[in-house]
Parts: sequence; structure tokens; C-alpha cells
Amino acid sequence: MTEAGRRRLVLLSLLAALPLAMAAAVALGSVRLPLRSVVASLVSAAGLPLLGPPLDAPGAAILWSVRLPRVLLAALVGGGLAVVGSTLQSVFRNPMADSGLLGVGAGAAFGAVLAVRLGWAAHVFLALPLAAFAGAMAAIVLVYVLAHAGGRPSLQGLLLTGIAVSALASAGTSVLLVATEEFRVKTVLFWLAGGLEGRSWTHVQLAALFILAGVALLALLSRPLDVLSLGQDEAASLGLAVHATRLTVFALSALVAGAATAVAGSVPFVGLMAPHALRPRVGPLARHLIPASFLGGAVLVVLADLAARTFSDRLDLPLGSFTAFVGAPYFLLALRASEGRT
Amino acid sequence: MTAVLEARDVHVSRGHNAVLRGVTLSLAAGEAVALVGPNAAGKSTLLRTLAGLLRAAQGVVLLDARPLTTWPRDALARAMALVTAEDEGPATLAVEDRVALGRYPHRGPFRPLLDEDRAAVQLALERTGIAPLARRWLGTLSAGERQLATLARGLAQEPRVLLLDEPAAHLDIGHQLRLFRVLDEVRVTGVAVLAVVHDLQRAAAWAQRMVLLADGRVATDGPPDAVLASEECARAFDVAIRGHAVPGSPHPLYNFEERP
Repeated sequence: MTEAGRRRLVLLSLLAALPLAMAAAVALGSVRLPLRSVVASLVSAAGLPLLGPPLDAPGAAILWSVRLPRVLLAALVGGGLAVVGSTLQSVFRNPMADSGLLGVGAGAAFGAVLAVRLGWAAHVFLALPLAAFAGAMAAIVLVYVLAHAGGRPSLQGLLLTGIAVSALASAGTSVLLVATEEFRVKTVLFWLAGGLEGRSWTHVQLAALFILAGVALLALLSRPLDVLSLGQDEAASLGLAVHATRLTVFALSALVAGAATAVAGSVPFVGLMAPHALRPRVGPLARHLIPASFLGGAVLVVLADLAARTFSDRLDLPLGSFTAFVGAPYFLLALRASEGRT
Repeated sequence: MTAVLEARDVHVSRGHNAVLRGVTLSLAAGEAVALVGPNAAGKSTLLRTLAGLLRAAQGVVLLDARPLTTWPRDALARAMALVTAEDEGPATLAVEDRVALGRYPHRGPFRPLLDEDRAAVQLALERTGIAPLARRWLGTLSAGERQLATLARGLAQEPRVLLLDEPAAHLDIGHQLRLFRVLDEVRVTGVAVLAVVHDLQRAAAWAQRMVLLADGRVATDGPPDAVLASEECARAFDVAIRGHAVPGSPHPLYNFEERP
């Protein structure tokens, strides 16, 4: 098969896998919804003629207010995190790069814990995700300002600044956690561990707005991203405004990862796994890798969330722990394989 | 001869180090110039300054008699290409796709590549002899093959000025000869070629002019054999240089010895 043919096959498989994974995730759970009725309900909600008996009232309630927002959110979060991972990996020219490098995760955690500590989270609707988002944005702005304090930074300088700001934010988070009443700590622990329990359509709208817009804009920057992946000197000699492009990419990445983290907490390894698995199959050009990563990341998190909540009858595993349980061994094996080759 | 590219009294510092201390140099269309000099003479810095990647603290670089700073980025990248030995492209990027990024200054971020772009990429692949590797990943190539891919990107850019930093660094002798032949083919179409070359023998055989950079200044500038015979050259490298005439060859064979 030709290279382009293989790439098309991978993209089409992912395109087919996403609705299948979402259908399975909507139907399965502590209460099983018959798939045919789910489809009938969705079709009739779209104003089309009925395809059979729709769900009964309790089933419809589960579908519309529990499963559907949760599954859509999983797809958005997974797709967004995978696109951000693939983008930052090409900018940093390092397959281990992730939104964590920009301080997004640690900043979001700090914002979330602050909202809980101050009692906002318990009284104000959406206070926790909005505070997490604000924390993520504050962290990236801080990384940017500190890194530029001594002139234009190298990638290395940016990376180290990101690590330092993340450590600072984590220290702040710990202090806040220690100073928070015990009954409130549990709320934020659930968020920190990463998960999608009890998310509403408002969460979906919030995440969709930032994630879809950010991903679309990053996809528009495909060719500049490819040029940037050649390194600073070559990119500049090809007429790319390196620093402005890099800044735009970081801002969009922070927006997407910040929104994903705000609604789902920490969901690690998705931004590493999906692009790592797909890059050898569709190539590193952003116009192929970004759509493939979005679909791959979406499938991954939809399935991970399904597995995490159906894994045991007694305990819902946190989504973030589940992706880490799968992602860490996957990554170690991948690392060993690539070390063995060179 | 009118200069395409000209540096006038260029000073550049990196950190607190003055690397270039008043370099004056000009390059005409269709000219092949070798830039030589000992380590730390400022050759790479000069090349990056000429390419517009480093700003001169003092002095000016002119392209078509206009300061580089007044050129729009894309127009500058269409006029001038820089090829360095540092190759940092992604390991899974195909050679052909890497070379096609040389068309970025012509098409920008959004306009699709046209037939003329694909023709330029194909010609660059063929000239450098890497057309059979077109679909191979960069990560699977040897250092020399990767370097040829970088050169092909520079050719696909279709510049009027081609600046090269040690283009022969990782090449075996066959590839070296091919490289300098390709540079000659490009030069006769009117492109000005300036290359940093470490191998003085090879530089003398290829270049029409040799510029010796020492201590951040141009020490001598002239026909290669005259530069190599100069006292400035012996002093810059701290070696004794002797040329031996070779029957049937236009260039002497050089012999280098440490000076006592």
C-alpha cells in the first residue's frame, strides 16, 4: 500500500472508531441502555422520524443528563490534549513534551484548590473549572513573562522556566491543601485525580468553545508548525516569524489544555500516547498529525473513561489514574523499543 | 561587478564577546566564494549575520543595496537561503516533505503548493542525488544524506544568494565532489554562493575567491592560491603552508605543517 493510502486508512479507521467508542460508552455502565433505543432517541431528538421504540423516561434521563455530556466531554478532552501534545512535541522537537511543560496542569490545580479553599466551589456554579482555567492561564503568562525577563529565551530556557513555575504552583497547592478543612479536601481530590463524574451540559459547552476553537486555529497553523519543527535557525531563514509563531502556538495550547484540565482535572499521558502512536503511521506533518491526534485522543479517553467507571462495581477508578496506569507502562515500553533500535 | 550582498564594517557580539569586529565583504552574482579561517574566527556568526538571523550591533548588511532590516521576512527568504550542518528535522519526516518546506517563503502559511513548487523540489532532489531517498524518513538516513537533504531544501528555495556553513562536513569524498559540482551548477545560473569550508585544499579547488577571517576581521581576500600563499593565512592557522605544483592540475597541492 502507498504511504498516502496507509495514512488515509488510519484516518478513516479513527473516524469510524470514534462514533463506535462513543456509542459503547453511552450504552454501557451501571445501568445498561439498549443501543437501538439510544439511537432511536437520538434520531428523534434530531427531529427525524422514529426508528423504533425510544428509551423509557428513566433511560432518557440517564442518556441526556448523565451519559451523553460525559462521553462528549471525554472526546473533547482527549482530542484537545492529544492535539496540544502533538503540537508542543513538534515545537520543542521532543516526543516527551506536553502541556505540563508550560505549567498548565500545576497552574490549573492551584486555581482549583484555591477555589475550594475559599469556599467558592461549594457556592458558585462552575467556580472550580473557571478558577482552574484562570490558574492555567496565570501559570502560562508567568512562564512567558519570567522566561522573557532576560531577552528572548531559548527553548531550553522556556522549558526550565515551565518546570520552575510548575514546582512553585505545586508547592502553593500543597500549602492550600494543608490549610483546607478536611471535608472540602475530598472535593478537590476528586478533581485532582482527574475524572468526568457529574459534569453538565454547561461543562460541555465551556470545553467545546475553547477546545474546538483552539484546535481549529492550531490546525490552521499547520505549515508554520512544520517549519518550526526544523529548529529555530532554519525556520527563521525560511522567513517564519519564529517568536511570534511560537507565542501564538503556546497561547492556543494553553487555552485548549487549560479548558480540558478545567473540566476534567489531570488526565495524564493522553498528550504523549496518542501522538506517539500515530506519528509513525501518518507522519509528522501537522496537517495530518493534528486531525489524527484529535481523533485518536478522543477515542482513547472515551474508552478510558468507560473502562474506569465499569472496571469495578464498587469503586469508580479516577480517569486520570486509569490513563496513568495504562500510559506509564506504554511509554516505558515505547522508550525501551526506541532505545533498543539506536 | 555589482554586489548582491554586502557587509560594511559589521560588528557582532554574542554575550560580552565581540565576535565580529568590523567585517567588510561583498558578494557578486554568479560568484563562488570560500570563507575560511581558524576555529572561533567568527565564520558561522558572519554567515548568520549575512543571513539576517543575527543583528549587527554596528555596521550594516545590504542585499541589493538595501539594508537587510528593511526587507520583509518572506522576500528575504526568497532571495537568500542558509544551509547549515545542524540538522534538526523530525526523525519521521520524509526527505521530500523536508525539501518541500523550502517552498515556504514562496507560498507562505496558507497557499497550496503549485506545479512549479513541486518541480523545484524534484529538481533539488535530483541535483543533490537523493531523489531515490525521497520517501525515506530523516531518522533513517546517514549524517551525510541528511546534510544533502538540507542542501536540497536550500536549492528548492531558489535563492539568488546561497550561504552554506560547512556543507561538506559529513560527506564522503564522492559526495563532496558532487556537492561542489552542484554548487558550481547553481553558481553559473547567477546565484552568488558563499560557503564556509574547512578543507583548504578543497576550498582552493572550488572557489573563485577566498576570504580569510581571523579574529573577527577579514585578514585577506583574493584568489584562493594567493590567500593560501599569504603570511596572514600562515599566521591565522599558525601553520606553515607550502604549495607544490602538480603537472596537469590548475591548482597546487598544499602541504601543511605545524610551525615550530
